[in-house]
Amino acid sequence: MEVLDCLGKRCPLPVIELAKVLKSKPVNSQVRLLSDDPASAPDLVAWARMTGNSVKEVGDSAFEVTKLTD
Amino acid sequence: MALPHIFEVSWPDPTKLGVDSKSAAILLNEARETFSGHLGVRSDEISFLGEPNLGFHLALSGLLSPNSRLVYSNIDRMEIFAIAQSHPNLQLAASAIGEIDFKGCKISDVVSLQLCNRETGIIQVGRPENCAELFVDATASGTRIRLPENWSAALWDSTSWAGPTGLGVLAISKRAKWTNPLPHLDGRVNPGPTSLPLIVASALAIDSWVADEKNLSEKISAINSEIRTYITTKIPDSDLAPGGADHLLSASFLYVNAEQLVTMLADKGFAVDSGSACNSTNMEPSHVLAALGTLTQGNIRLTIHHATSFEEVKAFLEVLEHTVAELRA
Repeated sequence: MEVLDCLGKRCPLPVIELAKVLKSKPVNSQVRLLSDDPASAPDLVAWARMTGNSVKEVGDSAFEVTKLTD
Repeated sequence: MALPHIFEVSWPDPTKLGVDSKSAAILLNEARETFSGHLGVRSDEISFLGEPNLGFHLALSGLLSPNSRLVYSNIDRMEIFAIAQSHPNLQLAASAIGEIDFKGCKISDVVSLQLCNRETGIIQVGRPENCAELFVDATASGTRIRLPENWSAALWDSTSWAGPTGLGVLAISKRAKWTNPLPHLDGRVNPGPTSLPLIVASALAIDSWVADEKNLSEKISAINSEIRTYITTKIPDSDLAPGGADHLLSASFLYVNAEQLVTMLADKGFAVDSGSACNSTNMEPSHVLAALGTLTQGNIRLTIHHATSFEEVKAFLEVLEHTVAELRA
């Protein structure tokens, strides 16, 4: 799985970079996002709800993201 | 009465002897009666605070005994989170629309109830029925929502009726088992003295605010709907926090840096607040937005004042739409 390292980056950069990376990928692709920004946990959940994608927190500062829509 | 004149006539200490002090005492008593009438509490239950947020500690720490449990919610003010740290406590989680279920409260609990959330405008419909003491946070609701019958202590902020900043009104019910948590020698609730000119100015403000509210509440409500509709239909990837009170509104925009958004709106003449992490002193996002599941990035909080006009709002919404698009480009 591709790893997107956003450690040390502040909101809204992790979500912006995630959206950029996913743009060129087909539906059902997965990305492992690393982010230690305190806003990332709530904002990735909100981002998934708003854009119709899926996010799972898989440990400290790590999120598994699945692209579900184009 | 204009503010400079208030300062001229209310300089003496109302507790001293002498003609000037007597007229100052009359001014203070009149102000007390004014607040008593609008807030629905007895005038001898009222204390004034020069630091409104001190009221959370005065009220709650005074109601709590060392072993009693503090029940509060995850959308309460951070001042209440701070008090909970030194007491047995239970934090209740608000639903996605901000509703709190108080059924788990015990008869021995001290409960904190926020009538209106100042970030989002959520009006709390949940009411604690069975508890030892009930603290009511009325800092955002002002005179809009009546106190529940079983209140023990309540706190208001003068800014909620467009009064001067730096003045809180604390009421402690004669029925409440309250002991002063501050070192004290007499029966006063706060060390004082609180600025009499501010108290008088705030009393004048609450009188005119209540009179205006009757005529202007429909306009404020229409402006709120207009803003909500515009953001939902014209600005993509936006997220509105659940609301309730017409004068408050919180909206977030995906992929937008709130600090830049707030600064650019300020440059164009619009003063808005934000609950995003980049706008807070501790770099943490708003705990209220996080608790509700609302997006915390690119957040703005709006307060609609009595004087806010439709023209201003239209101009603001166009600027907002363009600024969000510019920041995303």
